[in-house]
Amino acid sequence: MKKLKIYLKELKWMNRNLLFFLLFFFANTVQSAEKISLKPVLIDLNNKPSLQRGAQIFINNCLGCHTLKYQRYVKFIDHLDMPKDIIEKNLIFTTDKNGTRTKIGSLMLNAVNPDFSKEAFGVVPPDLTLIARSRGPDWVYTFLTSFYEDNSRPFGVNNKLYPNVNMPHVLWWMEGLKAPTNSGSNEYTYVTNGSMSEQEYKKSITDLVNFLTYVSEPAQLDRYKIGFWVILFLTIFAFVAYLLKREYWKDIE
Amino acid sequence: MNKFLAWIDERLPVSNFVKNHLSQYYAPKNFNFFYYFGALAIFIFILQIVTGIFLTINYKPDAASAFASVEFIMRDVEWGWLIRYLHSTGASFFFIVIYLHMFRALLYGSFKNPRELLWIFGMIIFVLLMAESFMGYLLPWGQMSYWGAQVIISLFGAIPYFGEALATWIRGDYVISDATLNRFFAFHVIALPLLLFALIYLHLAALHTVGSNNPDGIEIKNNKDSDGIPKDGIPFHPYYTVKDTFGLSVFLVIFAFVVFFIPEFGGFFLEKDNFIPANPLQTPEHIMPVWYFTPFYAILRAIPDKLGGVTVMGLSIFILFIMPWIDRCPVKSFRYRSNTYKILLSLFAISFIGLGYIGMSAPTPILTWVGRLFTLIYFGFFIVLYFTSANEKTKDIPERVKMDE
Amino acid sequence: MTESNKSLNRRNFLTNLTKVMGGVGGIFAVIPFLSTMLPSEKAKSGGAPIEIDVSGLKPGAFKVVEWRGKPVWVVRRTAEMINNTQEDNNILSDPKSLEEHQPKYTQNKFRSLNPEYLVLLGVCTHLGCSPLYKPNSKTAELGFDWKGGFFCPCHGSKFDLSGRVHKGMPAPYNLEVPPYYFVSESRIIVGKDGESA
Repeated sequence: MKKLKIYLKELKWMNRNLLFFLLFFFANTVQSAEKISLKPVLIDLNNKPSLQRGAQIFINNCLGCHTLKYQRYVKFIDHLDMPKDIIEKNLIFTTDKNGTRTKIGSLMLNAVNPDFSKEAFGVVPPDLTLIARSRGPDWVYTFLTSFYEDNSRPFGVNNKLYPNVNMPHVLWWMEGLKAPTNSGSNEYTYVTNGSMSEQEYKKSITDLVNFLTYVSEPAQLDRYKIGFWVILFLTIFAFVAYLLKREYWKDIE
Repeated sequence: MNKFLAWIDERLPVSNFVKNHLSQYYAPKNFNFFYYFGALAIFIFILQIVTGIFLTINYKPDAASAFASVEFIMRDVEWGWLIRYLHSTGASFFFIVIYLHMFRALLYGSFKNPRELLWIFGMIIFVLLMAESFMGYLLPWGQMSYWGAQVIISLFGAIPYFGEALATWIRGDYVISDATLNRFFAFHVIALPLLLFALIYLHLAALHTVGSNNPDGIEIKNNKDSDGIPKDGIPFHPYYTVKDTFGLSVFLVIFAFVVFFIPEFGGFFLEKDNFIPANPLQTPEHIMPVWYFTPFYAILRAIPDKLGGVTVMGLSIFILFIMPWIDRCPVKSFRYRSNTYKILLSLFAISFIGLGYIGMSAPTPILTWVGRLFTLIYFGFFIVLYFTSANEKTKDIPERVKMDE
Repeated sequence: MTESNKSLNRRNFLTNLTKVMGGVGGIFAVIPFLSTMLPSEKAKSGGAPIEIDVSGLKPGAFKVVEWRGKPVWVVRRTAEMINNTQEDNNILSDPKSLEEHQPKYTQNKFRSLNPEYLVLLGVCTHLGCSPLYKPNSKTAELGFDWKGGFFCPCHGSKFDLSGRVHKGMPAPYNLEVPPYYFVSESRIIVGKDGESA
């Protein structure tokens, strides 16, 4: 207790500095607000069925234009609990130039011709392996749920989060197409219905974003579990080391 | 075992070394919390070397494959993700530890006579460490790597007459390119680590020559017993080996928590923009150096002139080098110094942290003015101290050290 | 037990406990560093089994496919070749393939699962050159009684149409047969034993 008092007195100045820093730090986090606020999405990487559905949605709808060039199919065996033959049958649709089917250990590439897509879209569709890490899952979720009808655009759609985006609303067949109720309003009504209700669509996008969050850092599946044991061991070790220190330091008055 | 040791001792003075630097090397017995950081710095240095070696096994220093090779390490190399996070977290923790280590020196006057050379070696290590981490940060070849390097190297271009030529010489090209990446890899992996190793050795040798300072700032060698052993000294081994083991284990708990649970640390240790491959044609919205450089970056931005900014930023580091000759007060520890000094040091610490915050933020008009104010306070600390320390009203320093418990 | 004895025991106990825990922690800490040098996903993928389509292979024809950086040969034997394959003909060094250079299921005179198809690693067992397919040429080098097989141009080693090495050659062993199995009549997986192996 006496030691604590002495430290506090000496570090009174330090503590004040720390307080200032914390104040500034939190002020900073409030400061960085987006132009439109992001819709939060619940990520659960332990929900394997959700990850599997997300993988299927991505491969069926997105992989045609967007590669996941740092991710391998074979990792789905351990990470998504999918058997090898199911992956090969349901998720691999590419071949090499000789017609041999892409091996399961390969990276998730596609057949996009960059010159063609530049001409068609104005930009080469970017690789999406790390999109959930550089933009964050909330951003990706908000992006995919913010398409609306806009006939002034080449593909007839625009995006509230990413104005004048070059991408068509690929998932319109799921969501349908919505338009602002009144011009410039934040309320939307559906002018075309998709195959899913709004709730179902949101759930599917949650699965897709869940999958992309996994893809952006597969290590997440391991590091929390391993970290728990490492910190548990280190805490016990710290306690033993403390007892040892105290034992030796009894010699010093 | 003893015969074996004797055989070695005849050929290499191992036992003497252990005696002179561990079991019969006397350190003050009143070391407190601030005295853990030197030992922790050595640990982190070794950690960075070891994890660095294993990263080099799979990293490709080519602009076309560097980014992909880092993702390869993160995903396809066994335990690669852990080695990467240990290295990235280690870099940031190195600076946390070093800043606290340096602050200790300011608190207790550890830079004063006879430890001026020790301080200078430490400052050289600090500058080398900044260079080492700056070069290391280019290697992942992300957007922040590329553009951060672009900004900093273009600062050299501000030097009159030979600035542009110098910047080109550093880059090996007219812009940051593959040439720059390759040479930064060579410097980061071997050149600077060798220099760091040499300087750390010199730093420890200088320390062991004069012995450590302590929180009371009194020289324990002035008070020896009949055997010539400082009365307030205790053998480093076993007392500080045991205490540092404990300190290390607590440090490891905190370190492991970050490595396994929050390696990105909110975008401060691993920045979000760095998960986008470097694009020379597209600048990120908000370029910011890594957090540990932000105080100096804020000082740079505080001066509206490019060359002026570079000069003042350089001065802010150089002025630390000559601290032993600025602070003329013979009393070492702030425990026994005037209230003036306590206020000055606190203002300095606040300004350093404030500058750090400003360096991370977008340069709004208000923040620019606050940055200028903090820069004035930062330099003000040294200037005012030079005058007030000459005839400072200090408290009586004790004969013997005071234990905290 | 005196106070100082008790204290010394406690001191020793704690020191040893710290050392043991530190050692255990150290071993666990070293494991990731040693494991990281194991083959990466890329290496494992590159080394994975391959599938060879032999539907277009005519009798007597020879096909080469790369696997693990080595040439894999597939030869479709003609009826004549099959009939002419003997158990032993006194010119072979290891006619019964007693040396383990083939999977158990190919330890026969054909050194294959199906006599019609021969699968071999095209690497000479002498110093690693890739031998040439010589089904029926008769030259001075091969000998005018050449019954067909493989000839290594580097140092002159000769092998028969089952990849068995002739006596007196620089090469000591029969050509290696990799693990393989038929996934269908015309598709072979090389690099892995079949279920029934």
